[in-house]
Amino acid sequence: MIVQTALLIGLVLFSVLALFLEDLIRAAISLALASLLLGIIFFRMGAPYAGVFEISVVAGLITVLFILTIALTNAGKEVRESKLANLAFPLFFVIFIAIDAFVMKGLLQKIPSLPAAAESGTFGDVLWKGRTLDLVGQIAVILAGVFSVLALFRKRDKHD
Amino acid sequence: MTNAWFLYLFFSLGLIGAGIYALLAKRNLIRLFIGIEVIGKGVSLLLLATGFARGNVLLAQALVVTYIVIEVSVVATALALIINVYQHTKSLDIRKLAKLKG
Repeated sequence: MIVQTALLIGLVLFSVLALFLEDLIRAAISLALASLLLGIIFFRMGAPYAGVFEISVVAGLITVLFILTIALTNAGKEVRESKLANLAFPLFFVIFIAIDAFVMKGLLQKIPSLPAAAESGTFGDVLWKGRTLDLVGQIAVILAGVFSVLALFRKRDKHD
Repeated sequence: MTNAWFLYLFFSLGLIGAGIYALLAKRNLIRLFIGIEVIGKGVSLLLLATGFARGNVLLAQALVVTYIVIEVSVVATALALIINVYQHTKSLDIRKLAKLKG
């Protein structure tokens, strides 16, 4: 439990760094590190497939896409962020975490766990047999993503 | 629900709170999108933690895998949109989008 808590603290820390580091490349790398920690947490919870997807796809592919975009857009150096918002964040976050902890302490043991049927079979059974419709939806979403990227980067006609 | 579940709920709410603050306070489009990613991380952590606490890890895992696949598609489309916005306005400032014409 101590290791898991340390991993969760690291996850929140790197996520906050990703949001508030000045340099966007460093922010993207922090986000990748947060994904790596989340993947390890998934592994430790007994969900190896989700962990593998999180580490390979989110920490790998999405970071590459982010860094590519940052390189292509000059990192938005001309954008002037509000200094007040950056200064106010630690205060907001500390108050938010305090309220969060207070509410969690009050709720402890008060939320009933609804009865659930015990699971049987393997991950493959659940994914391919139980959630078949999800897979069709995933294929549709991936195709929609491919077509939208193609549409956004198509060559412009002369009269455009 | 078990005590461990409240620990996960606490941390995932922390992630979601930080992400929402960034969405409200930041002006750089890429930074806003990183905020959305952080919120997504919090939600997927909560999904899997709930499955873990109730002994339904396999189903929660299937949902998280579905979410990750969809996330990739969303990221690709959103970053393509951001690059297009940059080509049109030469800026990543969210406030300039309010002044677009035509």
